[in-house]
Amino acid sequence: MSATLIPETGSAASTLRRNFWRGVWRVMRRKPSRLVGVVILAGFVVMAVVGPMLLPDPLPNDPAAITRPPSWEHWLGTDPQGRDVLALVITGSRYVLLTAAITAVITVVVGTSIGLFSGFKRGRWDTVLMRLTDMKLTIPGLPLLLVLATVWRFGSPWQMGLVLGLLGWGGVARAVRSQTLSLRERGFIEAARGLGLSTTHIIGKELLPSMAPYIAMNMLISVTGAVYSQVGLFFLGVLPYESDNWGVMLNLAVFQAGALITPNALGYLLGPLMAILLLTLAIVLVVDAMDEIFNPRLREE
Amino acid sequence: MTLIARRLAGHLARGFVMILVVATISFFIVNNIPGDPMAARYEKLVEGGMAPEAARQAVKVLYGFQPDGSLWQQYTDFMAGLFRLDLGVSVTRPGTPVLDVLTDAAKWTVLPVLAGTLLSFLVGIILGVYAAVKRSGKLGDALSISGSLLHGVPQYVLALLVVMIFSTLLGVLPADGSVDILYEPGWNAGYLGSLVEHALLPVLTYALSAYGGWILAMKSSVVTVLGDDFILAAELRGMKRSIVFRYIARNAILPLFTMLALSLGLLLGGAVFIEKIFNYPGLGWLLIGAVTERDYALMGGAFLLITVGTILANIVADLFYTVIDPRVRSGEEVS
Amino acid sequence: MSNQAPGVRIDGLTVVYKTPAGELPAVRGVTLTLEPGSITGIVGESGSGKSTLALSLLNAVQPPGRIAGGSVEIDGLGDVVGLRGEELRKARGKHIGYVFQAAQNSLNPLKTVGKQLLDLGRSHGVDDLRGLVREAKELLGRMGLDGARVLDSHQHELSGGMRQRVGIMLALVLNAHLVVLDEPTTALDMITQANILRIVREVHAERGLTTLVITHDIGVVAEVADRLAVMYGGRLVEQGPTREVLGAPRHPYTRGLIQAIPRLTGDIDEARALPGRPPTLVTVPKEGCVFRERCELRMDVCDTVDPEPVADGPRLVACHAVNSASASTTVATKEHA
Repeated sequence: MSATLIPETGSAASTLRRNFWRGVWRVMRRKPSRLVGVVILAGFVVMAVVGPMLLPDPLPNDPAAITRPPSWEHWLGTDPQGRDVLALVITGSRYVLLTAAITAVITVVVGTSIGLFSGFKRGRWDTVLMRLTDMKLTIPGLPLLLVLATVWRFGSPWQMGLVLGLLGWGGVARAVRSQTLSLRERGFIEAARGLGLSTTHIIGKELLPSMAPYIAMNMLISVTGAVYSQVGLFFLGVLPYESDNWGVMLNLAVFQAGALITPNALGYLLGPLMAILLLTLAIVLVVDAMDEIFNPRLREE
Repeated sequence: MTLIARRLAGHLARGFVMILVVATISFFIVNNIPGDPMAARYEKLVEGGMAPEAARQAVKVLYGFQPDGSLWQQYTDFMAGLFRLDLGVSVTRPGTPVLDVLTDAAKWTVLPVLAGTLLSFLVGIILGVYAAVKRSGKLGDALSISGSLLHGVPQYVLALLVVMIFSTLLGVLPADGSVDILYEPGWNAGYLGSLVEHALLPVLTYALSAYGGWILAMKSSVVTVLGDDFILAAELRGMKRSIVFRYIARNAILPLFTMLALSLGLLLGGAVFIEKIFNYPGLGWLLIGAVTERDYALMGGAFLLITVGTILANIVADLFYTVIDPRVRSGEEVS
Repeated sequence: MSNQAPGVRIDGLTVVYKTPAGELPAVRGVTLTLEPGSITGIVGESGSGKSTLALSLLNAVQPPGRIAGGSVEIDGLGDVVGLRGEELRKARGKHIGYVFQAAQNSLNPLKTVGKQLLDLGRSHGVDDLRGLVREAKELLGRMGLDGARVLDSHQHELSGGMRQRVGIMLALVLNAHLVVLDEPTTALDMITQANILRIVREVHAERGLTTLVITHDIGVVAEVADRLAVMYGGRLVEQGPTREVLGAPRHPYTRGLIQAIPRLTGDIDEARALPGRPPTLVTVPKEGCVFRERCELRMDVCDTVDPEPVADGPRLVACHAVNSASASTTVATKEHA
């Protein structure tokens, strides 16, 4: 009996995995718009990685074409220095997406560790950590970032990503903790202990894989928030205009080039605006698809 | 009743601790700014010919604590000032206490954001019910997607689009400031009309940016309640449709009320981008100004006020829940 | 409105559920009569279609399911399968009472029982709401509860047994004479189970009801039911007077079920679980006998022909093996005589 049991559980796990990919495929196929989300997201990544390499650095400026509306030559027009707006959007995407990636890593690592630790240890540690998380979630993020802008220089994506990551792990920590607790409630951990598995094994091989979707979703959500905050901070003009990114472009377009008043600078404004809207659309579609894959309750029959 | 009192006591104690923590954070930020603004100002005053004692008093008035005392001395001075509601004096508005500047700005934030929140809440929950009931139809799908998109788009993008459409393109509504300076402030039609006119776009933007969250939350809440046994039970007992609908609505809206109370806490700091873009003189606008002009006392005060608002709203939200949900009221924990 | 226990005739009832694999039957060609004033028990494992059958009595099969064929004639109401809209709503609650499983939350958590009682009264146009409350208190008192206190309570303040009694009260308070109880004792402790069953029996007799009890627990049926119907894979495989069916089960499934019950006296090893698993909507065979995969008496004909229930006195059995055997014994006895 026990001899036949082990290969059976092994195959069950692989069936599960195969079912997962089949589920992904099913959801994608049923609403093709979600595939569009994945494609756009991939496009942005390619743009951030490859794009700046294909463009000259610094970007050429044409003093004869300053702050021009969109044309055949410059699809999104030019900025007040005569640079092509489309090229600016592409070079700016690197800062935005690199920051997002760094934020993602920090959010996941810190949030998952704290959530796991809290849910695993329970008791006093749990109370203290969760109070801390609550506190962090209570302090409004944007005003805090504004205040931090006076003491911290956000010049490089690394600095920005570090701050946003350290401010943003609360959501992931909460999600991971509640997942850990619910798995514990279902006797998952005790059962694994009973089989003589080590804590590392339980966490690494059993808990984390079963929670990966929740972590991924919460990560995506907090990363979205991070992208908006960083672009927003530059847009508000409280940070030095050192780096090329969408937020600086928005700020200069609105408050210096007067894009809301003169149609000439409209392209300068629309460039980063469209980039953010597209990115938002892509993330909404991907989160929606993930939600349906991982949350069978929401599947409409 | 004792339960509510006990919860209230616990919350107030925790809230108090949090306010202390936030005040401490804002003290250290102000105190540890590179270049030490207080010391700089003190030296400037002394260089300017002021007697050291007088200069020290002047800086104390400005920041609420002695520039050359020990860190602990400065900290206790600052905290003692807080309890007297003395937040120091604004540098950029000479002679005006920070508290006065804040209370003046707060009204420009509270009213429009409150209006926007309530508007989006009402529209969001009504359409949310619809989106839940028709969730397999085309229109329900469209409503959900519109909700997700509006929920996902950052506030500043929405605000810029609103300005572009209504102000730049159509030119129907102003998008600059809170009132036309032509009018004499007071209860006259011109002034009030101008106030309302200037508030419309900020309110609309705020409502749009909050609406997505409400419709999504209401939809998922209604879907959950629709699957509950007691709804089927009511139908099998032959309850009237209107009564079943009331059962669904009341149960579905309950968690939304808590969210509403929480979102009112974000009210004070929730319109930073909108106020910047519409040049609307609220708390967020003030905070940005204080940050760019390095008016630290004002910055610390605004940050503290915004945070305290959130903390208080959290307490209110929890108490509110205790009052409206009989399960919590009778002491059974609902997790 | 009828004031006597109504009879119910279910004829050829088929209920299908829409699935990605097409419409699959959960209940197939079920014919069953509930005699006025009787208690009928339907026994089956989960997934046998018994709850779907119970909901069909109120024409309340939930989407993606629908009644695809057959009729449910109730005295004084006609065929409920044809009822729609307001007519159907008024029939529910007033003519047919439905009692949910105690573990299910069948009460609005935000309202007191009393307020929900008033909602029920208003829904059915009861003018004398005071009288309704009096009736409810009387019923609750009859079931050993403090009526006034229960009416003033929220669901979470009531124990499982109390909720079940409140459910019975709400099913009867509008003077319904046909009552459907869905798993009335599941998730209750033994003593409460016994109490609820006693109440069901007594109230049934006192008020002159026709009662249908759905359960997976043969003990419950043995306790209360006059007639017993056994469901498997959406089919009724055997029915008859409770004592006769339990005393001398004929269908191999019924026999398996009864053998699986450990006796208080006797060796525990005598209890034998039925091998295999009950079919689901998807795995139930499209043709032939639904039980053949687990059957000891399987014959070739079982693979292709679905056995029709054959009457033998008050009993009906749908099994090729049993029916051909009993047919040959009848023939044999005839020849002998």
